[in-house]
Amino acid sequence: METVLQIAALALMVIGTLFSFIGVIGFIRMPDAYTRLHATGKVSVFGIVFLLLAAILLTPLSLWKGLVLILFVLLGSPSVAHSIASAAYRIGLPMSNPARDDLKGKMEQGDGKD
Amino acid sequence: METIVTFTTWVVLAAHLLMALVAAWRVWRGENSIVRLTALDLAGTLTLAVLVLISILERNSIFVDTAIALAALSYLSTVAVAKFISDQKVF
Amino acid sequence: MSRMIQISLPLFIVYLALTGNLEPANLVVGALVAVGISLLRPQMDLQSVALKRLPRFLWAAIRYIFVVAGDVIRGGISTARIVLDPALPLNPGIIAIPSGSISELGTALSAHSISLSPGEMVVAIDDRGVMYTHCLNVDESEKFVAEAQSLRQNLLSRMFE
Repeated sequence: METVLQIAALALMVIGTLFSFIGVIGFIRMPDAYTRLHATGKVSVFGIVFLLLAAILLTPLSLWKGLVLILFVLLGSPSVAHSIASAAYRIGLPMSNPARDDLKGKMEQGDGKD
Repeated sequence: METIVTFTTWVVLAAHLLMALVAAWRVWRGENSIVRLTALDLAGTLTLAVLVLISILERNSIFVDTAIALAALSYLSTVAVAKFISDQKVF
Repeated sequence: MSRMIQISLPLFIVYLALTGNLEPANLVVGALVAVGISLLRPQMDLQSVALKRLPRFLWAAIRYIFVVAGDVIRGGISTARIVLDPALPLNPGIIAIPSGSISELGTALSAHSISLSPGEMVVAIDDRGVMYTHCLNVDESEKFVAEAQSLRQNLLSRMFE
């Protein structure tokens, strides 16, 4: 039983690290600020959650704390991504060769409202 | 088995420190403020991961408490800085 | 009163999860802290759920969590494929997705679940609840998000009537 838990925790750790690694590579490779946000979102959604699941399996003390932190990360990371993207659009940062832009002209840029 | 877990945790810890270093380099050399802010958030997230890994190594859940505090502070500071960049004021 | 319970009960549960002991003294302190914080109540407009609908609410909420988890895993894998592709096949753009929900909570939950999955990210929401979503691959996301959104909307309306 102990061994099964440890093997599962090892697999979770390795998968989480791989996802974090892909996220950081994407952060370096992507061309503009908006696409980079997608890559960093993956680090927090997959990397942290898998590492925390491994920590829950390995250290029984931190079960509830780990669940609270998972909930917090899952609630917080989309709103961080949204606030950064909204700030980027509002200061008028251009996208690199966008296929389409439905928002163009609908949000007054440089205005502090909303 | 125990040694394999410890060894893997050390390797994963080293990988996360390396990735946090890359993110810090991006904070230093970014094209614009938004990319730097994204890199700062990424560095905070990776520091969170490092704290969780230390708690696995030490078998001590006090580091998860620290990670919760870090998550709350990093969330608030990122949102505040993003709002400052877009509006030039925080409140 | 019911609003106070709505705010203080989650706070109480989080307090117990963080302190991690169930002694009576700790329960009392947790209840006092939770009620004290809920007395500082901000002007929140919370949606209430009638007690006799609670089982249906919970069932829809659990199904919602699984649907969102499936979307997140799908988004993560497709984003990983884009990042690891040497050619970096990006087709980025901002598309408008109507959330189809009148209430603010429904729109907020839809925006949260869309932003949570890597590959789509809500940039702005207007007054009528249209979400302007930035996608890594416009054509694929538009097709996928439309049907995922209708499924989620169905569950959300079941949760909050």
